[in-house]
This record gives sequence, C-alpha cells and structure tokens, in this order.
Amino acid sequence: MANVFEKQVFASSIGTLEIGTGEQRLVIGGGNTWPLYAFDGEPDAAAATPGTAPATAAAPAPGTDAAAAAPAAAATAAAAATQKSTSLLCSAAPPRVGLQISDLGSEGLDAAVASFYADCADVPAMAVKAAAVPGVEFIALAFDGANPAGANKAVEECVALAQAVAQVCPLPLVVAGSGNSEKDSALFEKIAEALEGENVLFVSAKEENYKAVGAAVALAWNQKLAAESAVDINLAKQLNLLLGQLGVKNESLAMNVGCAVAGYGFEYVVSTMERVKSTALTQADASLQMPIITPVGADAWNVKESLAEEADYPQWGPREERGIQMEVVTAAACLAAGSDAVILLHPTAATTIATLVELLIIGGSPGKSDLPGFNLKGGE
Amino acid sequence: MALKGLDIFKLTPKTNCKDCGVPTCMAFAMKVAQGALLADACPHLSAEAIAQLSAATAPPMRSVTIGSGENSHTLGGETVLMRHDKTFVSKCLSAVALRDDQDEETLAGLLATAAELDYERIGERMTTDMLAVVHTKSDAATYAALVGRAQSAGRTLLLDCTDEAAARAALEVCAANKPVLNGATPENFTAFQALATEFEVALGVRANSLQELYDTVVALEGQGAQQLLLDVGTASVKEAFANAVQIRRGALSNGLRSLGYPSIVNVAALAPGNPHLAAALASLFTLKYGSIIVLERLDFALSLPLHGLRQNIFTDPQKPMKVEPGIYPLNGADENAICATTCDFALTYFMVSGELERSGVPVNLLISDAGGYSVLTSWAAGKFTASSIAAFINEQNIAEKVSNRTLVIPGKVAVLKGELEEKLPEWTIKVGPNEAIQLVKYMREVTGGVANG
Amino acid sequence: MARFCIIGERIHFISPVIREAMLARDPGPVIQRAKEQLDAGADYLDVNIGPAESGGEELMKWAVRLLQDEFNNVPLCLDTANSKAIEAGISVYDRSRGKPIVNSADAGERIANIDLAADNDAIVLALCSKAGVPADNDERMLYCQELLERGMERGMDPEDMWFDPLFLVIKGMQEKLPDVLEAIRMLSDMGLKTTGGLSNISNGMPKQIRPIMDSAMIAMAMQSGLTSAIINPCDQRMMETIKSCDVIRGNILYADSYLEV
Repeated sequence: MANVFEKQVFASSIGTLEIGTGEQRLVIGGGNTWPLYAFDGEPDAAAATPGTAPATAAAPAPGTDAAAAAPAAAATAAAAATQKSTSLLCSAAPPRVGLQISDLGSEGLDAAVASFYADCADVPAMAVKAAAVPGVEFIALAFDGANPAGANKAVEECVALAQAVAQVCPLPLVVAGSGNSEKDSALFEKIAEALEGENVLFVSAKEENYKAVGAAVALAWNQKLAAESAVDINLAKQLNLLLGQLGVKNESLAMNVGCAVAGYGFEYVVSTMERVKSTALTQADASLQMPIITPVGADAWNVKESLAEEADYPQWGPREERGIQMEVVTAAACLAAGSDAVILLHPTAATTIATLVELLIIGGSPGKSDLPGFNLKGGE
Repeated sequence: MALKGLDIFKLTPKTNCKDCGVPTCMAFAMKVAQGALLADACPHLSAEAIAQLSAATAPPMRSVTIGSGENSHTLGGETVLMRHDKTFVSKCLSAVALRDDQDEETLAGLLATAAELDYERIGERMTTDMLAVVHTKSDAATYAALVGRAQSAGRTLLLDCTDEAAARAALEVCAANKPVLNGATPENFTAFQALATEFEVALGVRANSLQELYDTVVALEGQGAQQLLLDVGTASVKEAFANAVQIRRGALSNGLRSLGYPSIVNVAALAPGNPHLAAALASLFTLKYGSIIVLERLDFALSLPLHGLRQNIFTDPQKPMKVEPGIYPLNGADENAICATTCDFALTYFMVSGELERSGVPVNLLISDAGGYSVLTSWAAGKFTASSIAAFINEQNIAEKVSNRTLVIPGKVAVLKGELEEKLPEWTIKVGPNEAIQLVKYMREVTGGVANG
Repeated sequence: MARFCIIGERIHFISPVIREAMLARDPGPVIQRAKEQLDAGADYLDVNIGPAESGGEELMKWAVRLLQDEFNNVPLCLDTANSKAIEAGISVYDRSRGKPIVNSADAGERIANIDLAADNDAIVLALCSKAGVPADNDERMLYCQELLERGMERGMDPEDMWFDPLFLVIKGMQEKLPDVLEAIRMLSDMGLKTTGGLSNISNGMPKQIRPIMDSAMIAMAMQSGLTSAIINPCDQRMMETIKSCDVIRGNILYADSYLEV
C-alpha cells in the first residue's frame, strides 16, 4: 500500500527571530517545513483528525464594535501566541500578522482604513486600538512623515513619538522607515537608542544604508533588523552576508525580500520567496535562513483596484471592500509562498489572515455552528 | 518522472548474461535511462517490471478536459510544484455555487452577478468560469430544473451531487455542456462511474480521508476510469489544504500516479458567510494546487485581486506578459489631451497607467509593440526606439485621432528625444520622470497643475 | 542537487608530522591540521592512520575522540586498511553531524568493508576496481555493479555508497583521463554518488602546476557529476573553483560574497 501521507521535513531549519520583551515576546519563523504545512510537522494521527477545536475566539468584525471587544481580544491574542507554540510538535512558529499605523495618524492612512481609528486622539491611541484587533500580534509604526519629500519631520520628533507609542503599545513593536534610506539611517539610530531594551524590529536595512543601519540598530543598540531587497534573491543573500560580515548575528535578522500586489507582477514575488525558502531548507544555506517578513498593506491600498472611487466604477462596488480583498488575497499568497509574517493595514484584513493561519496551523472549521469565533462577516 | 538508471537496475536480473547485447545489467540500465535502449531489449524482465517502466515514463499528472465549445477548459497536466521550476500550465477555474436550497431571490442574484462579472485583463477574459450546482435534498426533477437554469448562463457546470437519481436527471439535461460530475464516493463509485461513462463526463471523487480517497481512485482506475478530479474535502480548512498539497506532491514528487488528477476545492463550504476568509482561501489554493475553486460568491471585489493573482501565477516564466498596442485614454482623455508613451510590458503598463490615473490629468497613453519587455530592456533590444515609436504613431494614424501634439517619453529613454523630434517634426517631445511613482507630480506640473481639461 | 562535499585529506599517516604525533598521541599537530582544513571549508575530515596492523583500534579511537571533542563532533572519514580499527573508531563516533565514512571498500579483497558499513549504518567509499587499475569503463561498471549489489543485499541505501572511479595520474596514464570523466558521468546518470582522491591526477608534477591541474580537473569532474572529493581544502584555487562550480550548477545560490562563505 502506498503511503499517501509522506512527510516533507527538511534537514535544515528556518531561524527564529524574537521581538518584544517579557510576556509580549513574539517568535517569528523557525521550523523545518514550509510555513503553512503544519501537516508535515505532525504525526499522522493529528494530521488526519478533522475539526480540532480552535484555540482562540476571534471577536466580532473589526470596524464595527472592536473597541468594545478590545480588552478581551488583547487577552486572546496573547493566549493565542502561547497556545500556538505549545500545541505544535514541529518547532515552527505560525506565521504572524502585524497591523501598521502611521506617524502621520489618520493623514498617513487610506481614508477607508483611517475611519477605524476615528475615535483615537493621537498615534499612541491608534497603536492601542490596533493592538486590540483580533489576531494582530505586533504593531508596525511607519514613519511616513519623516520623508524629506513629504512632511520631513525632525528625527527628535519621531523619537518622541516612538517612545510614546512604545510606552502604551501592549504588543511588540516594528519600526518602519520613511522610504528615504539616508533619513532612515539617522532616524533608526536614534529610535534604536531611545527604545533600548525593547527588542524592536526595524524594517529595513537596504543596500544603500545597511552599514549605518546595521551598526547602529543591531550592533550598538542590540535591536532586530530586516534586510530589504527588491525581489532579487541574489541581493537578498548578499545583504545578509554583508550584515553578517559587519558582525550582525543571524538571530538578529529578518528578511524583507520585496513584494508586489496581486496582479502586478506577483509571480516574481512567488518565485523569489519560494526560492529563498527552498534554498534555506534544502541547501542548508545559512545566509537565507532568516524568517521573511513582508509589508503588504500599504502597497495593496495603492493600486487602481483599491483607489478607484465607486462613482467612477459602479460595477466594482464599495472601495473599502476592494481594498480589504486586495490586502487579503496578496497576504494569503505571500504566506503560501513562504512569508513568516505579514504587515497589513486594514483591521479586517489582519483578522482574516490571522484566522486563516489559525485554521491552517491549529485546525477547526469556520463552517460549524458549534465552533464559536469564526463568524467574521466583515464588509457587509 | 524520469527514471534514474538505479531504479531500472533494481528491476534487472543482475546476471550480466549479455542477452541484451550490453556487457552488464548496470550498463543496460544506464542505456534504458538515457533512452538508448528500450526496456524490452532484456528478455528476462518480468511483465510487471516492463509495465512499471513504461508507467514511469507517462506524465505524472493527467490532463482533464471539461466543458464544451468556447467554455472548454483543460485542467491538470502539471509537472512541477513551484512555478519557477518550469511553469504551471493549466490555470485554476473559479466556480460559483448555486444550491437547491437557496431561495429564488438569492439564486437570481447569484446568476445576475455571474453574468455581470465579465471583463478583460491583459488579453484574458475574467469571469465566473463555472457554476457549481449543489444538490442538498431536493428531488431529481427540481435539481435537474436548477441545472437547466444554470446551463442557460453559458458557463461550464459542476454537478455537486451524490444522489444517483438526481445526478442522472441532471446529466440528461446538461450532458452536452460536458460538466464535471462531482459525486463519486467510496460507497457509490461504481454507479457513478457508469453514469460518467454513459454521459461522457469527468468524474469528481470524494472520501472521508486522503487514504480512502486514494483507495477509491485506485478502484476506479481498476474499472477503467481516466477522467477524474479529486475533491480535497470540506471537513476543515486544515485538512483540505493538507489534502491539496499531498495530492499534488504525491503525484509529482512521490510517484503516486493515482493522485495525478486535478483537484476540486470547495471554499464555499469551508468559509460560508465570510467573503474575506473565502478570498484568503481562494488565494492560498490558487498558489497551492486547487484546480477548480468553488466560491459562495464572486464579485468584482474578489475577482480583481484573485484573477490578477491567477494571471500572474499561471504565466509562463519564459514569456513576458504584454498588453495590446493601442491608444489608452485615461481620466476621460479626449483628442485634446496630452500623449504619453511607454513599453507594452504588462507590469510597466500597470505601474504607469496607475500613476497617470492618480494624477487626475487626462492623458492618451500610447502603447506600441515593444516585445513585452521593460523600458530599458526593450530599448536595448531595439524594440522601443525612436523609429518604432514614430512608426507606431504613423501607422495608427494618431495624428488624426488626437489633436494634441505633446508626447511624454519615459525618463529612462531620454536619449530618444532628439531622434524623435527629427522623425516627428510636428510633435513636442517631453522627457518624463525615471520612475512611475514620480508621474503624479510631473503630469500636474507639465499640464500646468490643471487636473481636468 | 546537494552542495559538493569536501573531504579534507591532510591528516595522513604518510606525513611525518602526523605520524609522529599519532604514535606519540600528541594532539597538537593533529588538531592544527584539522583546524586549518575546517577553516578552509572542509565538510568531512579524512583520518588516515596508516596500515595500523598493531594498535590500530586504540589509535583510531583516540583520533576520533580527539577530533570530535575538539571540533563539535566534526564528521569523519575513517581511513585504514585495518577494518577492526575502522569499527573501533565507529564505536566511539558521534553521528550528530553526519554518518561516519568507511574508507574504503573495493570489488576485491576489501569487499567485506561494504558489510562493515552496512552493519554500522555508515557511508562507504567504494572503489570501482578489484586488483589494480580497471582496463576500461565496462570493467569499472562491472565492479560498481558488484559493490552496489552487495550493499543493497545488506540493506544499504545506495545514497550511502560513494563510488570512486579511480583518479589516475596524468604523468603516466594521460590517455586514461577521458575514461575517468566518462565513468563519473555514467555513475552520475545512474543516480549514484561519487568521490575520490582527485589530486592523484597531478602526482609528480611541479608544485606550482598542481593546483592549476587539480582545479581544472575538479571543474571537469563536477560537470560530469562528481558529488564529492578527497582533497586539500587549503588549496585556495581548488576551493574557489569548487564554490564557483557549485554556483554554476545551482547547488549554491549566488551572492557577490559567495567566495567568503
């Protein structure tokens, strides 16, 4: 009899990256199987048992009454993190979901996303609200306002905001740059210093600024760093090697190997991520074994399908719904191709992807009425 | 899957008898692996061994053709697990479920949406490819009536039905449509295979576990079945995904021929009432091995990203994605609007047209045949040059269709400006920015900050 | 396709420094040679203790323990004509970083070393020869078949049998070299792994010529499918060639710094 359930477990493993501190510490990556292939890391009996109860109860649709659900959801998010890592026999952490906010507050977000934060007085309040969205496990604070071509905020102002957010944010923090490599070098150095000991992930170091950013963020202030390349697997490897030669340990690194939105050359993203992952797993190439973190949200809200007004394209239906689906489809495809974490913008997209991960890694069925928590009828 | 000499050697008698004309069994195995000798050159190979060898050279995953006429689709025939290893050959299909327990209003709404969703994206028709008619508990006549109604929508049908009488009634209505009969189970497969053979349709198989599914397929194959599809099941998302991966991997990597068939993924049943989770699952199964993806609902909000993703994933890595040459009026551009040009590489076109639309400035985007490469590559290849652009403008009679005589060219080919001015003396050539993202600012400046007019 | 496997050859009883150290159980020189080779990029270390007719078992155990303790259980290739000494070495061997390699078996007197490897779940280097140099590739493949059958009968995974086509010396047998490359191609087409003492080809050549000849040979052999070799990893030219070939064959992902890894 043929063994239909042949496992695919590799001799090499993906490295793990830890961000945050204490109770809120979060592990990204790990494992010696493809990220979503939980069935490869479990004994046959577990893989064949349908309908294992889900570990967390995702709260009602974000965007409606998420504020009311906030405290409970924060608790379940924390519970989910521990339950996910202990209920699995394979050592991989489930792919993680982060929500991105902007230093510009509502101004820095698409209007359809900003409305979720309408009741937030300032950016730290937005961080708290974002952290309460079910399924969200880290918060990404993007310093769009620091870009010299835009608001060109001073480094000191950004540092003060980062500190204010870090003080109240109940989840691990990711700091995303301004889009300007030179400004990011200065910005990241000061924020890394100010948030010393918080174990923050900085996204990202690029070919142009890896020396300055690597030395300041990872070496001087012992924070975590993502190395960014634009859908180029050889450069992805080279950047990791260069950071290694600088003295940055692999355990301090993640990779942002670049992304595209579904329909916009996403085939290159799939090929790059799948090749990175399979090189790491099958060729034992330590310089590509860092977990992959992929910012998806900002790009997904910046294409015609998400931007076009319903008035101009009445057939297409409500704009918010299109943006959410663009984020969801792109993020799910990133996870399928090998991402270990995604950064999203819309709370409904984040909860949806977290639900997907949970259903794939832990199990359960959203279609069974006796299983609570998967009744996410968002967008209706 | 190509056999290694070692696999063949294991089947030989290992006697070095030289009856095949080669000094050793090892050398014989090597020659068979290279194709220099046929396996039957060895008179001592058992019939079983020869059958094993010839089976090993057959493709690992069958192609199954469903539908008729312009709605005919080929599924399966894949040879790799990751697209960059070669290419994916058969794009997955989107089906929308119509259930016999849905009320009239819902059914009418679903059929209307299916008809409305029909557009083109880079030369490919994007629509509801299939309608899945789901039998729950109605009698045969009622089910057949719904099937007949679905058939008139002009899409390929999938009959999700395990009731033999209802399936027969439905097939009598729609056999010419060449639907998929998705209803064989470990209990009824003999009867359902008889139905599929009688009406000449492909048969979907389902079971409670992957092992049971495999055993059922082996039994069906024993009865001569070839046009099969495997339903990954609806017990849970986790199990459905595990099945989809293990079916494809089993066929392509582990030599399990009885798993080498296209798959059916019922997202409608896996994520009922949740369009966002359905979108996530549809995306996942587009990458990982769904052949027919059944959805509760398919609207523009889902189709735009999902079918864009599908178009990306199922492109041949060797062939660039191209847009058709022509004039693309953006932001309501008329003959007075400024002209801009870029190459016909789909990704470039999307980036440029997207940014131009964001600028709000009416503009006629002129796309000439540049071989489907990016700006610099097509320029270097001599396919996006002053001559080719000028030839395009003359051949397409742009001067008659557009009265404006300003043409913006990509900053990366600023070098073409002088030559274009010579070849198109009536035109003012302006050099645009290097990157698409700078277009919003540039277009507003070049047209004097006027967003409309 | 796996990365090329480099077996470092420099711990060899024929070297006076090593011989004296081994006989005196002096760790210093052995550790130093091991470190040089590992720093240079060796995957396995060959431990040749000579014919070791007397006291071989104790000597091999000493060497295995010494090297594995010092270098985080580095995987080793146990090299001696004394089978008992190999078995003794395996008895104290930690396989957490790779199975031990039995060096070596042939189709003649030493065919029982296949059994030794099978019984101890080890990898075996299998020489495609019986006595002396095979006349042609038909003869090589005949020996290969005998060795392969013997291993398979005893339950070995063919993956654990690394076939040595015999790298013949150019000065004396120059006309045989195309045969060697063809043999590697045939073994590779069979789906078998291959290895061998590659630098034998340049034996007797001037010192400055040897790295050039060895590098050319390894590039051609890798193109023919060679999966491993027993070489001097401190030969920089050779190591650079191997890494470059591994990139070209797709066994290593290219990055500008690939030589520094």
